Amino acid sequence: MLTLIHRSGRWLFHRAEGVFNFAFGDRLNPLYYLGPISYFLFWIVVASGLYLYVFFSTGVNQAYDSVEYLTVQQWYLGGVMRSLHRYASDGMVFFMLLHLGRHFFFDQYRSFRWFSWITGIVLLWLVYAAGINGYMLPWDRLAQFVVVATAEWFDWLPIFNGTLIRNFIFQESVNDRLFSLLSFIHIGIPLGTLFLLWVHTQRVPQARTNPPWPIAVTLLAALVVLSLVKPAVSLERADLSAAVTTIPFDWFYLTVYPLIYEWSPGAVWALTGGLTALLVLLPWLPPKRRLGPQEGFHIMVHPDNRIIPVREGESVLDAALKEGIPMPFECRNGGCGVCKGTVLSGRVDPGLYQSNVLTEEERQAGKALFCVCTPLSDIEIEYEPKEAPGGIPVKTYTARVERMRKLSPDVMQVFLKPGGGEKIRFYPGQYINIILPDGEKRAFSFATAPHLADLIELHVRLIPGGRFTTHVFNEMKEGDPVRFEGPLGAFFLREDSRKPIIFVAGATGFAPVKAMVEHAFHTGLKRQMLLYWGVRSLKDLYLADLPHQWEREHANFKFVPVLSEARPEDHWQGRTGLVHEAIIEDFPDLAEHQIYACGSVAMVEAAHPAFVSHGLSADDCFSDAFKLAPQIQARATEMVKLGGRL
Amino acid sequence: MKAARFVAQALLYVPLMVILGYFSTQPRFTDIAHGQALVRLSFSHAGARKVECRQRTPEELAKLPPNMRAAMDCPRERSPVKVEIEMDGRVIFAADVPPAGFTKDGASTIYRRLPVAAGKHRFVARLRDRPEGEFNYVHEESLDLAPGRAVVIDFNAAQGGFLFKG
Ligand code: FES
Repeated sequence: MLTLIHRSGRWLFHRAEGVFNFAFGDRLNPLYYLGPISYFLFWIVVASGLYLYVFFSTGVNQAYDSVEYLTVQQWYLGGVMRSLHRYASDGMVFFMLLHLGRHFFFDQYRSFRWFSWITGIVLLWLVYAAGINGYMLPWDRLAQFVVVATAEWFDWLPIFNGTLIRNFIFQESVNDRLFSLLSFIHIGIPLGTLFLLWVHTQRVPQARTNPPWPIAVTLLAALVVLSLVKPAVSLERADLSAAVTTIPFDWFYLTVYPLIYEWSPGAVWALTGGLTALLVLLPWLPPKRRLGPQEGFHIMVHPDNRIIPVREGESVLDAALKEGIPMPFECRNGGCGVCKGTVLSGRVDPGLYQSNVLTEEERQAGKALFCVCTPLSDIEIEYEPKEAPGGIPVKTYTARVERMRKLSPDVMQVFLKPGGGEKIRFYPGQYINIILPDGEKRAFSFATAPHLADLIELHVRLIPGGRFTTHVFNEMKEGDPVRFEGPLGAFFLREDSRKPIIFVAGATGFAPVKAMVEHAFHTGLKRQMLLYWGVRSLKDLYLADLPHQWEREHANFKFVPVLSEARPEDHWQGRTGLVHEAIIEDFPDLAEHQIYACGSVAMVEAAHPAFVSHGLSADDCFSDAFKLAPQIQARATEMVKLGGRL
Repeated sequence: MKAARFVAQALLYVPLMVILGYFSTQPRFTDIAHGQALVRLSFSHAGARKVECRQRTPEELAKLPPNMRAAMDCPRERSPVKVEIEMDGRVIFAADVPPAGFTKDGASTIYRRLPVAAGKHRFVARLRDRPEGEFNYVHEESLDLAPGRAVVIDFNAAQGGFLFKG
């Protein structure tokens, strides 16, 4: 039954969105910004309300007069403000209900979304309360009706039991204090609303709280026109000795008020209470949609080569944004195509989208819109980065090989000089994609901290049979042109914690770690840093002098090399075994550490569960996700990174 | 194409504004229908004690702890207030209003809206605030109620009983 309602509602919304897309274009479709529009209307209400408040007098006689003054004498500004105040609040209810409806029909209110859902319902109540309260202030006949009806409604409750209305029985019972109280409430509730709005949007990664400006401007203009065409006016002055007969009525806010008399106050309590209870319980009511394991799935994200968790029913985009991956997006509702990417493996629910932005052929080719697409298994995806965090644009560069040095039998240090002497801005931990002549890409991390990087330093490990790496070792020479794009990725040193950092590097995973450590020294980071560098044998420990030197120069840095297959000729006295085992030996309890890991899939796959079982909190490892590793298919995945979300 | 879009946008904004403009005042709502007037009964009055106070006998007093030896025994429960409104010889409202509070020692409060046809009416209000017996307050009043008028029937024992105001 519910599924049927969901489906028909969805169909309706979808059709409407199609129509709106024609008119507004997919990026400015108001239906994709129902929440932000409500937010924007709230600001109009606040701004116009502040203006009205300047002129409003809180007295039995003055209240009506001051509002009349605004409406009549000062119609060109005060009157417009009053009308805007009214129509924007009406609009707010309208858009909030649509916003709620959309999430309901699209079944986006269960599991982790319960929090936003429930705060949303409370918000709706607050907005109603503020609006109804607002209608009491002008003290006209409508105000009289609202005050009396509200008192009669509340009087049904046993705590009041007929006493509340005694305050509004005679004209003399109403005094100036009432208006001070009412306007106090009329400021208090919106403040509460604002706070709750903030809470409401907190849990949505990069939630939009403002509609795109063309929407905002047109909407405001339309409301001003409406205010001029049909200004909000007061009725006659309130008179408690006369009954309220037939009055103009705001159906957005006072919807249930007629029922107080049509049914009874108790029935209206039952209706509103029941409806609220139903809405509140909705996220836990059947039909349950449990598709996957309780803890959700994992996504391997290329080109960042990061593995991130995704909750059940969560879109790929939301999961990525939460982890600080700068995935591009615009409408977030399957209408613009900005978030389009490729699903390399795994099953997904493509979600509901406008068919002109994702064609059937594209679908067949594995394309998906990540803002509406939800995983049905662990998946692997690739997206096209448009911008790195911090607003650094991703560009394609042509550089020349400035210098090359063989650091070990299978690691080549390559320095690139971008054409035109351009200096590239990037964050330590980011990487570039080298573009091969046929368009294929290979990712390499910046191996130098940004402040030192006149040249781009890369550590290239020879992969037997690897096309690009064998080329580097056998044919590449100084002066060769290299095309690359970057900077990419969101694997950074986080500076919001005081916990000691453990860097885990496997083989050339040392490169990004080097950039991060250099950067940390440069910025004067005082946190304890430990570097565990795991390699096979001594010859793989290329550039080992460097961390040793850091250790001598910085009291807060310690270096622990670990060999897994030390050879007799290495005469190795240091640590042996797998790198993560060495760490666990040293720190049986990892709860007080942050880990940044960078190495082969196999290394991270083995290390992760071991770390977690030793108390490392998922947040401090920046990845609770390494079950996916065995399924990773993309060929360019030589290196995986854990950690460093923004 | 651009022009078509612009027209389409306008066509979508217009209904939105029409919806906002229209439903913010229309359709009108009728609380008290044309040709009617409103009588509101509202009072808060404490009824007499259900059981009269009684002198305690010396034996009873002796049984009580010394600090609780009050000469009078006064159970706190009050009697409900019985009220009746008659219009033109017909009872239009009658109720036994219970006292408030857990121990039923509070005032009895009531509020009722009684829409009536406008015009001349003869009202009789009766009230009994004792556990039994006849109505001990009765008030008669003839009113000519214009359409849309509101009258309050209040009760205040100190001012002699029922008060018709408005
Ligand atoms: S962000 Fe517009 S389609 Fe996904």
